[in-house]
Amino acid sequence: MIDRALPTRTLLDLAARQWFDELADRGIVVTDNDLIVRAWNSWLVEQTGILADNAIGHPLFVVCPTIAARGLGEHYQRALIGEVRVLAHRFHKFLIPVSKSALPAGATEATQTARIVPLTSDGQVVGTVTIVEDVSERVVSERELRNQILVSERARNVAEDASKLKDEFLATMSHEIRTPLNAVLGWTQILRTQGNIKSRDRALEVIERNAASQLRLVEDLLDMARIVSGKLRLDIETIELQTVVQAALDVIEPGATAKRVAIVADFEAMPIPINADADRLQQAVWNVLSNALKFTNSGGTINVSVRRDNTTARLIVADTGQGITAEFLPYVFDRFRQADASTSRRHGGLGLGLALTRQILELHGGSIEVKSAGTDKGSTFAFRLPVADTLAQAAATIKPHLDADALDGIVVLIVDDSADSREMLEVALRAYCASVTTVDSVDYALAKLASGSIVPDVVVSDIGMPGRDGYELIRRLRSFAEPIRSTPAIAVTAYADPEDRMRALAAGYQLHLAKPADPSVVAESILSLNAARSSSAKHHRS
Amino acid sequence: MELTALQQDALIELLNIGFGRAGASLSQLTRHRVLLEVPKVTIRPIEEVAQALEGVIASDVASVHQIFSGPVAGDALLMLDQNGAAILKELLTSEPALPLAIDASAREVITEVGNILLNACLGTFGNILHVQVAFSVPQLSLESVGGILESLRVHREGVRYALVVHAAFKLRDTEVRGYLVIILSVVSLDRLLREVEAWERDNR
Repeated sequence: MIDRALPTRTLLDLAARQWFDELADRGIVVTDNDLIVRAWNSWLVEQTGILADNAIGHPLFVVCPTIAARGLGEHYQRALIGEVRVLAHRFHKFLIPVSKSALPAGATEATQTARIVPLTSDGQVVGTVTIVEDVSERVVSERELRNQILVSERARNVAEDASKLKDEFLATMSHEIRTPLNAVLGWTQILRTQGNIKSRDRALEVIERNAASQLRLVEDLLDMARIVSGKLRLDIETIELQTVVQAALDVIEPGATAKRVAIVADFEAMPIPINADADRLQQAVWNVLSNALKFTNSGGTINVSVRRDNTTARLIVADTGQGITAEFLPYVFDRFRQADASTSRRHGGLGLGLALTRQILELHGGSIEVKSAGTDKGSTFAFRLPVADTLAQAAATIKPHLDADALDGIVVLIVDDSADSREMLEVALRAYCASVTTVDSVDYALAKLASGSIVPDVVVSDIGMPGRDGYELIRRLRSFAEPIRSTPAIAVTAYADPEDRMRALAAGYQLHLAKPADPSVVAESILSLNAARSSSAKHHRS
Repeated sequence: MELTALQQDALIELLNIGFGRAGASLSQLTRHRVLLEVPKVTIRPIEEVAQALEGVIASDVASVHQIFSGPVAGDALLMLDQNGAAILKELLTSEPALPLAIDASAREVITEVGNILLNACLGTFGNILHVQVAFSVPQLSLESVGGILESLRVHREGVRYALVVHAAFKLRDTEVRGYLVIILSVVSLDRLLREVEAWERDNR
């Protein structure tokens, strides 16, 4: 009964004491106004390993010498003149050091916030109260939150970078496509309006060169699209690496000579067999060579070496050109990436060549690396390709040089809905003295064959045409009576994928050539198909 | 009620002494040179403060609040707009930003800075007045200026005035502006101004 009647003040004192000793989840130190420790709660005993008996009665800065040593003593002087001090862990890390066993795993010191408050009685400061709170868990979760925000910001930046790169690429592409077109259109107009100009050859040369460069551009774009969508197929055969590199060198040589850049080739004498798509690999090598030539000034040198290292074939292309800055080096093989994307840049190109090169190399199970000591220190590209087990019979097809009358007496039927293509082929084949008939549709071709008004030695046909297409033409042709039925046929088409080639061959064509086809290649093909047919016919007869 | 030129000069001079001390503490704390200046002091009835400050601080403010008691008693607040608070916190601790509402560590930093500043100012007043000023533990809140001042009005009676101290922190070539608002009863304000005038006369 008496207990219940205890005055509130006494109850509060009891509550305060109980909170101080048992309930508080933080450290509490009470000092007098000489900063002698007068109370030290159980949380502190647990955390510091200092027993209350060893703290109480001793100066605070003796019990915790680091407080004064770390310059935190001033806060106590301030508290003694009535100021409240709050200590953020960001600024001070901790106030009262704790024992190692009390630290979270991996931590070397405590993470605390603290308050130092004057203890007053009747307006006079009689001591201090220090309250220390462990905030390590909170700090960890804040750090995690901060990291999450950083990660998502970084992801956003990457996405923004990629979209900026694409914008730059589009701007570059428009420029690169427009430039050759301007030249082609300009010179065409000159040819048309000034029929008698002296620089006719020059005009044609410029048009041809620009059209070729545009074709390469479009091919690069298509290749990249195929690679990105996983649709690039390789026609793998066993070939010699030296042959591929030499072929690329042959293409680059005239440009190097014109620019007075020396090319020094150093090939291993023994053929190095590799399993590769010869055209693609040559394209990859050419990309690196033309890149080297583009960035090497007159008087410079490009060293090309081909070596075998056990099971690895190596090709090194080292130039003495303008080199690559350390900042750009990691991005050399990135799509759309160019060291200088400004409109005033000195070098043309889409920035796809080296990206394609790496992709092609990787499709071959190889790799490519680049090194450069920096600006004006040259660049070195190193290819690695796995060596093939055996060198299959190298089909050493030496290009026959066609005589001007090579197709004399050969009757060629050209089927193409495009007047330009028709005309181009007609003119080119007539130049080799072929007898050429052109028609603009499959129906018309079939009518001519059926009526016997033409008995061609070779048929050259487009595939994609309105109405009946090239596949239908060849199917119908193969159901005619002899000699039409066995007429050799060449598909010349813009459908240039390996699948398209397979389909054309399966439909009955002997050959598939991608548009735009080199007229001399078409002529050679006609010659060889015609020769094969005559010999088999002779063989048949005998 | 307006401050006389003499009172205005004297208050600015006194506050600059306090801010000098606070700047020194902050410089030591952050190992960067921190300059604090008081370009302007005004006085107005508490009812007009919210309107006046909301013109310059549109968003919620981070405010550090301490009650002080003794012969001169009242409420002292440091108010920073959230942008200023974020800049200050980053300049002082070089941690990337989190919104203040979910960053307790940053709130502590602002609280300590406010505490140093408020202590320095009111401590200087206490020295001038030759009285001890007792403080409560500082509290940080994030709300509108109007909301903060309204909550201060609710439990206090009588006509009260606010001394509005314009504060400019300069650190690492960046300036962050804040406001120190000291709310006093008529009696406390009268006492403060008389002592300030006396101090000014003694120092001439």
